[in-house]
Amino acid sequence: MTDQPLVRAFRLVALVPRNIVVALLHVYRAVISPLYGDVCRYYPSCSAYGLTSVQQHGVVRGGWLTVRRLARCHPWAAGGVDDPPAREHSPYRLTRFGFIVLDRKA
Amino acid sequence: MELGFFGTLLWPIKWVIEAILVGFHSLLTLAGLESAAGVTWVLSIVGLVIVIRALLIPVFVRQIKSQRKMLEISPELKKIQDKYRGKKDQFSREAMSRETMNLYKKHGTNPLSSCFPLLLQMPIFFGLFSVLNDAYAGRDSVGLLTPELSAEFGSASLFGVAPLGLTMATSDGNVAVIIIAIVLVILMTGSQFLTQLQIMAKNQSPEMKNSPMYRQQKILLYLLPLVFVFSGAFFPLGVMFYWFVSNIWTMVQQFIVIRNMPTPGSEAALAREARLAKKRQKKGLPDPADEASGSVAVEEPIKTQRQQPVSKSRAKKQNKKGGR
Repeated sequence: MTDQPLVRAFRLVALVPRNIVVALLHVYRAVISPLYGDVCRYYPSCSAYGLTSVQQHGVVRGGWLTVRRLARCHPWAAGGVDDPPAREHSPYRLTRFGFIVLDRKA
Repeated sequence: MELGFFGTLLWPIKWVIEAILVGFHSLLTLAGLESAAGVTWVLSIVGLVIVIRALLIPVFVRQIKSQRKMLEISPELKKIQDKYRGKKDQFSREAMSRETMNLYKKHGTNPLSSCFPLLLQMPIFFGLFSVLNDAYAGRDSVGLLTPELSAEFGSASLFGVAPLGLTMATSDGNVAVIIIAIVLVILMTGSQFLTQLQIMAKNQSPEMKNSPMYRQQKILLYLLPLVFVFSGAFFPLGVMFYWFVSNIWTMVQQFIVIRNMPTPGSEAALAREARLAKKRQKKGLPDPADEASGSVAVEEPIKTQRQQPVSKSRAKKQNKKGGR
């Protein structure tokens, strides 16, 4: 990673959309999800899958992964354990509340 | 590009909703109800709920079948639960969920209904919201709702005083709208609360009740009224009414399931067994443990198996061979 402040600032701005989506997913998981109880046939649940994928892969790829997962979660699906694809060497760090920030150590 | 992204997404859904509403509306007017009357439109919304929930019945039936199959895997499920008994940290919980899911998959059964019903309901909810808003604002409808019908729908009122398209926020001092919205919020909170409480208090195994997830759920249960107060303020009465009727449907459905097909090991399961035993006693029937499975009611053979721990695995195999 680079230490150039401009590049850093740019990268931080680039993280804004995914953090907005993460915040929305948090609200969904805290407020709407409990209304319906456990319904998902997979582990992690679709919303947890969505949260992790967006955190790891961003809004576009994470969103696409989530849409595909939702399409898989129908009553005739076998279900089971289904983790989002892991991203190795992520340049970002996850805060305690699940938001994505630049890695300080870099 | 006047529709925008969400408008385009909602368009087909709105079309279907309008078709269903208009269909019920013409049936009801055919039955002698007044076309512009509030009741007619309110009942059309009930019709919409019935259509949507009836479509979801196959999903529901599948869930019941899965739940019955759960009895077969209950010994293995119990093994997992025993393994993690008393371990309440996040990692153990996660490992337990993973193992449980793998078990379901291995046996081709899953007691959970999947996210599909939810995904189906949400667009319909927002679609109805949008149809109602358009109708109230006098905007063009997307499909079968003609301008006349749309105007009727928009101004149709509950009890002749509270237009369906109004919200608490846009009521403009219309006391009837505010009162009805508050009543709907209370009724919705009540029905949702009862449904959740039914599931949580009666249909969960003791292991589940000790988990941190359960406690979290319980706290959230008490936050529900806030959610509904919020929605009461911003959703039009017609949408609230749809939600409420759908909630009632869920409640009744849940009640039937919990009564007749409870989760093994839960309070409801014990209550059901007690009820069945009482019934048998009344009829003077012998204990199901020494009865052959052929002559008894549909659910009872399952119980017979449960009370024979020694030969359970063998009985299961034999059952499978029998082509059940």
